[in-house]
Amino acid sequence: MNILNKTISTNLGNGPRCIRLFRQRCSLLFKLMALSLIGCTDFVEVEPPKNTLVSETVFEDPATVESALAQLYHAMRDEQGMVSGFYGLTTAMGIYADELDYYGFNSDYAQLYNHNVLAGNGLIRAWWGQAYELIYGANDILQGVESSQGLTGEEKRGYRGQALFIRAYIHSLLVSLYGDVPYITTTDYMVNNRVSRMAAAEVYDRVIADLEEALALFGDGGPISSERIYVDAFTTKALLARTYLYAGQWEKAALLATDLMDAFPLEPDLDKVFLKGSPETIWQLKADADNIRNTQEAIQLIIQSVPGQTYALTEGLLGAFESGDLRFDRWVSSVSDADNTVTLHYAHKYKADINETRSLEYSIRFRVAEQYLIRAEARLQLGDKNGALEDINALRNRAGLPDSGADTPESIMDAILQERRVELFTEGGHRWFDLKRSGRADQVLGPIKPNWRPTDVLLPIPEAELETNPNLLPQNTGY
Amino acid sequence: MQQLTTSMHRALLLILLNVLLIPICTQKMRAGNNLEPPQFTVTGTVTDGTGEPLAGVNIVVESKNIGTISEFDGTFSIQAGPTDVLVFSMVGLKTLSVPIGGREEIQVSMEEDVTQLGEVVLNAGYYSVSGKERTGNIATIKADVIEQQPVGNPLAAMQGHLSGVNIVQNTGVPGGGFSIEVRGRNFLSGVTDPLFIVDGVPFGAQSLGSYDVSRDIVGGNISPLNAIDPNDIESIEVLKDADATAIYGSRGANGVVLITTKKGKAGKTRFDARLSTTLGKVSRFLDLMDTQQYLEVRREGIINDGYGSFLENPDFDFVWPDIKSWDNDRYTDWQRELIGGTAYRNNVQLSVSGGSDRTQFLVSGAYLKETTVFPGDNDYKRANIHGSLSHRSDNGRFKMDLTLGYAHEDHKLPGTDFTVMAYTLEPNAPRVYDDEGNINWENNTWDNPLAALDEQFVSGSSTLVSNATVSYHIMPDMEFRTSLGYTDYRLDSYRTMPSSARNPGLGLTPQSYSNLTTNASQRESWIVEPQLNWKKDWGWFSMDVLMGTTFQQETTQQLVLRGTGFPNDGLIGNMAAASGVEAVSDSDGEYRYNALFGRVNLKFSGRYILNLTGRRDGSSRFGPGKQFGNFGALGLAWLFSEEPIFGEGSWLSFGKLRASYGTTGSDNIGDYRFWDTYTVTGSDYDGVTAVQPTGVFNPQFGWEENQKLEAGLELGLFQDRLMVNTVWYRNRSSNQLVGIPLAATTGFSELTGNFDALVENSGWEVDIQTLNIRSRAFRWSSTFNLTVPKNSLVEFDGLETSTFANRYIIGEPLTIVRLYHALGVDPETGSYQFEDYNGDGAITSTEDRQWVEDLAPQYYGGLGNSLSLGNVTLDFFFQFKKQKAYNTLRYQSTPGFRGNVPVELYDRWQGPGDVKDIQRAYSGLAPTGGLGEFQQESNAAVSDASFVRLRNISLNYRLPGLGNGLDANVYLQGQNLWTLTDYKGPDPEQPSNTRLPPLRQITLGLQLSF
Repeated sequence: MNILNKTISTNLGNGPRCIRLFRQRCSLLFKLMALSLIGCTDFVEVEPPKNTLVSETVFEDPATVESALAQLYHAMRDEQGMVSGFYGLTTAMGIYADELDYYGFNSDYAQLYNHNVLAGNGLIRAWWGQAYELIYGANDILQGVESSQGLTGEEKRGYRGQALFIRAYIHSLLVSLYGDVPYITTTDYMVNNRVSRMAAAEVYDRVIADLEEALALFGDGGPISSERIYVDAFTTKALLARTYLYAGQWEKAALLATDLMDAFPLEPDLDKVFLKGSPETIWQLKADADNIRNTQEAIQLIIQSVPGQTYALTEGLLGAFESGDLRFDRWVSSVSDADNTVTLHYAHKYKADINETRSLEYSIRFRVAEQYLIRAEARLQLGDKNGALEDINALRNRAGLPDSGADTPESIMDAILQERRVELFTEGGHRWFDLKRSGRADQVLGPIKPNWRPTDVLLPIPEAELETNPNLLPQNTGY
Repeated sequence: MQQLTTSMHRALLLILLNVLLIPICTQKMRAGNNLEPPQFTVTGTVTDGTGEPLAGVNIVVESKNIGTISEFDGTFSIQAGPTDVLVFSMVGLKTLSVPIGGREEIQVSMEEDVTQLGEVVLNAGYYSVSGKERTGNIATIKADVIEQQPVGNPLAAMQGHLSGVNIVQNTGVPGGGFSIEVRGRNFLSGVTDPLFIVDGVPFGAQSLGSYDVSRDIVGGNISPLNAIDPNDIESIEVLKDADATAIYGSRGANGVVLITTKKGKAGKTRFDARLSTTLGKVSRFLDLMDTQQYLEVRREGIINDGYGSFLENPDFDFVWPDIKSWDNDRYTDWQRELIGGTAYRNNVQLSVSGGSDRTQFLVSGAYLKETTVFPGDNDYKRANIHGSLSHRSDNGRFKMDLTLGYAHEDHKLPGTDFTVMAYTLEPNAPRVYDDEGNINWENNTWDNPLAALDEQFVSGSSTLVSNATVSYHIMPDMEFRTSLGYTDYRLDSYRTMPSSARNPGLGLTPQSYSNLTTNASQRESWIVEPQLNWKKDWGWFSMDVLMGTTFQQETTQQLVLRGTGFPNDGLIGNMAAASGVEAVSDSDGEYRYNALFGRVNLKFSGRYILNLTGRRDGSSRFGPGKQFGNFGALGLAWLFSEEPIFGEGSWLSFGKLRASYGTTGSDNIGDYRFWDTYTVTGSDYDGVTAVQPTGVFNPQFGWEENQKLEAGLELGLFQDRLMVNTVWYRNRSSNQLVGIPLAATTGFSELTGNFDALVENSGWEVDIQTLNIRSRAFRWSSTFNLTVPKNSLVEFDGLETSTFANRYIIGEPLTIVRLYHALGVDPETGSYQFEDYNGDGAITSTEDRQWVEDLAPQYYGGLGNSLSLGNVTLDFFFQFKKQKAYNTLRYQSTPGFRGNVPVELYDRWQGPGDVKDIQRAYSGLAPTGGLGEFQQESNAAVSDASFVRLRNISLNYRLPGLGNGLDANVYLQGQNLWTLTDYKGPDPEQPSNTRLPPLRQITLGLQLSF
């Protein structure tokens, strides 16, 4: 640049020195142009912008690895994915199953509610896309941390454990919604762009393998963290217990559930179960401190006025509560329209609604009540009827109900599913998964959903994805 | 191989450089020894054909750099030698060469030039060229045409006037953007922006608007070009072919738009004032259902869905308030209420110009205020200052030009464009205000549109464009020139979303909902371009050589903040009052660019012209080893009318054949794309800032290439009273840089890389100018232009297996859409039917979307006429376009949903046996209902959108006999006054159902100068 300025400034003079100047200039120009000719490479190289980090540096510093992990937690909570309280399974699979009625006007949701889901459904596509975005993020962390020089062994184990958990968690949701899905373990887009689907059973094996590895990395237990907002050994055990249950590995499921039931007490007061300090919470997503401060679940599910409702609890679910069940008193509320002709009920587990400006509640993803139900079912399958009843009675008694009267294996199984329905309603689509895995979807949803077809147990693979990667063909039957 | 060709290119360029510089250096040695003959003063007067004195005529001593300009009374005085030749020139007049022959006083009479072709000097960017001798394709529009149009954006003034240039106005909201395509879409990436250059300085025309702030009002896009007042523009040139654009190398692929602002002229100091008032209204409304039709269809839909019995049950009234709660006799024409207002624009411009033969200046200031057609108090304001100063030294060797333009713009607009609401609000929707004048929420049964007035979009931007050019004649034939430019664009905008704008039924409070989003952005650039120009004329042969280099840097910054939770809505403008502030994005970008360019122009016998241009470009947008690229072109022209067989008096007064071939490129892909990075997302978890992988890493991408071939025939007949210019072109673009769609399983939606696909744009352009009648009293001239473009995807290896398989077809244009084939309504079921291409018994996407429609124009052009009789001048200009576009069925094909729809949907199927185009009413309550969503994606939703539009009409009356040099004009101008079209939708120019269509405007103005 100095050469350039000189050229310009010498040019401003005029007069008789032109020959000398010209010679000088000729050579300066010549140099300048020759410089351009071979390429002023230095000039056209720029530093990275301030809002980016070059990838290699990310994994050399624990702070930036935590930032990469923070993105995964944030994305699970806020983005249009399955885990989110806004866009996720809680509402969407609530209306797909028999928990919620839908009053909104979004055609993607209407398709789910009416069971005429098209393969182009925007929500189904968004879930799929966000899931693999999260999985990529987890894989990139696994890969980056592995080769990092700047992290201690302990740090590496913690980060890898979280990333493995997230990879397994998201795959476990995908497989339960879409059936056979690819299990992605690399960041290589050439491979992932042409990947084929994997049999559901094998996907579950991979989920279990990842979780077992994560558990090994976390080590056994340790103290429960104060806010329970990061994935740890307990979270891993909770998902592992659920996955063992879904996979029919009863003993392992019961063992892990026991561990968790020992570590986490049930909160006796139903009004406090969903507060952020609840002792029975295993893992929750911390609320956004700037905007919502509480949960999206509360904003979505609580009806402020009628009209104005988007979701309301179905008559079927309301009827499922036995009389005297305190969960109906404490976790269900109602609102009527101006002239009291219409009354609608809504889930009121989370109570801090949109107008609550203090931070009271976080989005709970795993709580120990589910582990009671997991162990009950596992015990029943292992032939321990009394043990099973003991576990469901713990929940019933907390809700002010007497012990269950079930005695045959069939009736106990029914009691467990009934207990799951009223304990875990509007929490991440439990009801749908229970209907599906127990084979009762046909019998329960057939009569109440006019468009129900048995093939509805799986959602369609997003159409655009089949177009982009034909190796994902064939589409799930029925779409 | 790549390495080898690069080094060969370098070697060749070095050799060329040496060859070029040797004659320059030797020439200099001789020139210094020349003895100059003695000088004396020549005086005289210049007049026109009728004997009136001519002011401002350029007078130069040929082959010297001495010149002057005639005074107001036509007199001049100049130093020259007795054997010198004086050259008199002025736009609109034939250039005259007068040998002095020893005289001391010379009287000159200049003739009007009919077509001005020879004298029209076209700005080609780094050099200028006469219209007659150009080898490339340069379309131009001059101030006289621009000034006739009451528009606020330079692109608006160009619409329809230039062949090969397709411009579409995106919105009728003041300050909105335009899209421009020069000779079609070259790239799969869809980027069509040409390179904009204002007074020699590259001008970043991309909006810095933030989607978070302005998405609902101007589509996120505030066009920086609005900062340039069309009244300040002297000419706009669009460079189209290889010969004209190759000197812009990597940035020339999509054409180059050169904007030149007005300069001062020597002579008496001249004051100019322009005052005008414009009224604007939406030119076309949709025919929507009235209340009776709407309610009938709504009820029918509910009954069809099997919920008819519920309609009579008051318990369910809340489900359909439009039918049961609202007044069934009420009717509001929401288009009239929401977009039916009148937009007023007041414009005033004052300028002073003048100067001596050595120094000229111009200073102008303008102020514009424009309101909107929306309800409420909204406006757009712009203040401009433009200045220019030119100076040359006594001996003419040193020259300096300074230009400066500064604009400040203010937008105050509603946060949301009301157009969608105007089209879809129920016709019986309640009144907007209650008796107390408060927003009426009708027991929370609707979203009151006027509540959106509480949401404001406010933006302030300032734009500075400055340029300095200094040049020095090192010797008579050689000039050293440096162009320096600096631009600065700052945009500050915000959008407020108070809780008061939302339905109270949602229970929102200022603390929980109210939010403020701000966007502070800046783009700054500088450019330095030293150049050396050598010209020599030996009579039978002349040569013009230019060499130069470019150093350019552009930096952009953007900070978008969102504050939420305010103590009350009155404090929503103050970020400090927000209980939480979040940085939505904080980004910066740097672009650096370095180049060497050159031109060699050779002319033999005044009729064979060869023009060679080239550029070596380096761009920071590419990774190591991929930063540099070479581009060049060859242009040839043969002025066959100069051949001896066409003597004086031949009917053929001008004839030229020209051809050009060359390559240009494009680096228009955004900064930093080659880096493997994590980006700060602006989100956090538990207070930990989140970072996210930016994209799939691909360092191997390079320039897109664009090869342009063109041949043209230019004819002037009957003393140039009829000029016909015919061009055939073919542009082929390869090495396409695209976001290659990836399967979601990769974690990303796309990958940036070069794709081996070839896109061809070819076509014909015809430009005709005629002077139909020319007499002392009456003059009538016409212009006509026609473009017949063709776009085609020529090659695409592996298209069938690629991710573009379902979007493009080899041999078809890039602008195609693939649709279902609509087969009308089944008379038995009342459901839409579609062709089942694969015969599987179901209509499914991809397999059954085999119907192809092309949405690009088939041809377009314009026809202008200019008539003047005495003091009255009438100009009118028609624009026409043959095209197809999405019609209203694209947005709604099903009657019966809540919300109003076009009245075409009223004529629907109602019972078995009905043969109708529209399906049965469906209210959305039954699970399925007539496949309307497929109809929206079918060929029925595409229809003819061709139009002929009276784009501009201008009537000017020059007040007679004011004397004292006072000149006064009164003018009436209209824009978009009349449109002939069969289009079923809002506006055929911009077929969108969500944005305000372009307005019809009428302007009354006064221009005074003295």
